Amino acid sequence: MEAIWDGLVEAFRLILRGDGELFSIAGRSLLVSGSATALAMLVGVPLGYLLGRARFPARTLILAAVGTGMGMPPVVAGLVIWLLLVRSGPFGGFELIYTKQAMIIAQFLIATPLVIAFTAASIQALPARLPDLLTVLGAGRLRTLWLLAREARLGLLAAVMAGFGAVVSEVGASMAVGGNLVGDTRVLTTAIVTETSRADTERAIAYGLVLLAMAFAIVAVLTVVQQRSPR
Amino acid sequence: MEARLEAVQFAYGDHPVLDVPALRFAEGRVTALLGPNGSGKSTVLRLLAGLERPAAGRVLVGGKPAPAARDSVAYAFQEAVFLSGTLRANLDLALRLRGLSPSARRSRLAEAATACGVAHLLDRPANRLSGGEAQRANLARALSLRAPLTLLDEPLAGFDERGRGEMLAELPGLLRRFAGTTVLVTHDRDEALRLAEDLVLLREGRVRAAGPRREVFAAPPDPETAAFLGYTLIPTDAGLAGIAPGGLRPGPGDFTLTLQVEEVVDLVTCVEVAGRSGGERIAVAFPAGSPLPAPGEQVTVSAPTGMVVSFTKPAPETVDRPSRASVA
Repeated sequence: MEAIWDGLVEAFRLILRGDGELFSIAGRSLLVSGSATALAMLVGVPLGYLLGRARFPARTLILAAVGTGMGMPPVVAGLVIWLLLVRSGPFGGFELIYTKQAMIIAQFLIATPLVIAFTAASIQALPARLPDLLTVLGAGRLRTLWLLAREARLGLLAAVMAGFGAVVSEVGASMAVGGNLVGDTRVLTTAIVTETSRADTERAIAYGLVLLAMAFAIVAVLTVVQQRSPR
Repeated sequence: MEARLEAVQFAYGDHPVLDVPALRFAEGRVTALLGPNGSGKSTVLRLLAGLERPAAGRVLVGGKPAPAARDSVAYAFQEAVFLSGTLRANLDLALRLRGLSPSARRSRLAEAATACGVAHLLDRPANRLSGGEAQRANLARALSLRAPLTLLDEPLAGFDERGRGEMLAELPGLLRRFAGTTVLVTHDRDEALRLAEDLVLLREGRVRAAGPRREVFAAPPDPETAAFLGYTLIPTDAGLAGIAPGGLRPGPGDFTLTLQVEEVVDLVTCVEVAGRSGGERIAVAFPAGSPLPAPGEQVTVSAPTGMVVSFTKPAPETVDRPSRASVA
């Protein structure tokens, strides 16, 4: 118990002191996970919209595949990307393995199924006649999409939260494709693993606290936006 | 604004839904599309609104292809659908999407909301209105557009009996005030007769009859259409006789039948005497207070000639001709 208390005190000291390494790792986490989530939204929202609205033969199969993807262990996603990017792999020539870009790709693979599934569900929950109504009223295609997105905002922001929450907290994929290189690919989760194995409890707790605070701050902002009802 | 369908065919996948050689909705008239479920009524509205494109043929609204004429169309869907936000915001959005100035929007909105009886609901969340309130709001949104062509899909669905009666009385006046050419969908014969000047009868995607309501009602082209209009069909030597709803009276007359009474039901304002004639089950309203037959007795009932139509065998096959499908 005393070790935990000491750890907490030391952690707060590191945070308040503005420890360079701590904030550099936190910034890298934010960059990698934020980029992966943004890319997942870019790809996942249109795909989720299509799966939510369109009716075609393979739709159910694709939805089932997306559902399976939601449960994919991060370490498996990491393994897949590692196999693709490793020097002897099909994309080895790009020399992306053990870089932040590789970590973003792996996290993108983890977040995208979540974004697709949440988007499809929120679009499906809208009244079926809503797009027709907006079309008849004279809303153009972009305006219709915007108004539908506004209606589905609860689900879409839940998609961002789920996607970001999943990737900012994963460790297996980042470790596999990033390599946990000091000053380059070390992020908060891999740093926690490293410091714990080194028995540097204070740093591990400090990283954990920053990770929690960061996740909380982002989710809190999204929740405020989500719960604000449009007039 | 006139609207027309020319040689229109439409299918959902492999399932043919509509096959209409010609159909015209005359300017300024209220036309009811009448038919059983699945007859293609709502599809006609969706084609007129440009929400569907025909597999063959043309749909013209004011001379323009339907999708290009959307600005001339107001459409109240059967299911009242709103965006989140107040009713005011919903009505305002509809007017804003039509490019109206803020002052025009304010006056149009207030006018339509007041006329449709939803002015007191304007600041309520639109998605929390009751069934009848939502339907009135749905109508107010469509009418506020003052579109040259107004499409109403089952405008009386979602009302309770009292609300339906009130709306049935109010709607003709509202359409005169706010709508130009109106096409409304219903599967209720009485509703169609109360609201529309012209009738188009659809069955299995084909126009069975079209024209001014009195003409369509007085001369159904085939027994199935007559039955849908509420005619009582009686087998005769030549084929079938169709007796218009309310045409049968107690006692002898031009077209007399003998009825074997099976059931006598007191409906307070009248008494319904039901029985069989030539194997067909028939119900006749007897005035309240008149002497009533007992089950098992035979009574004479009749209809005046003007309320009887004859169908010789085989049934006439004139229903799909373009000339028959013209409302004007």
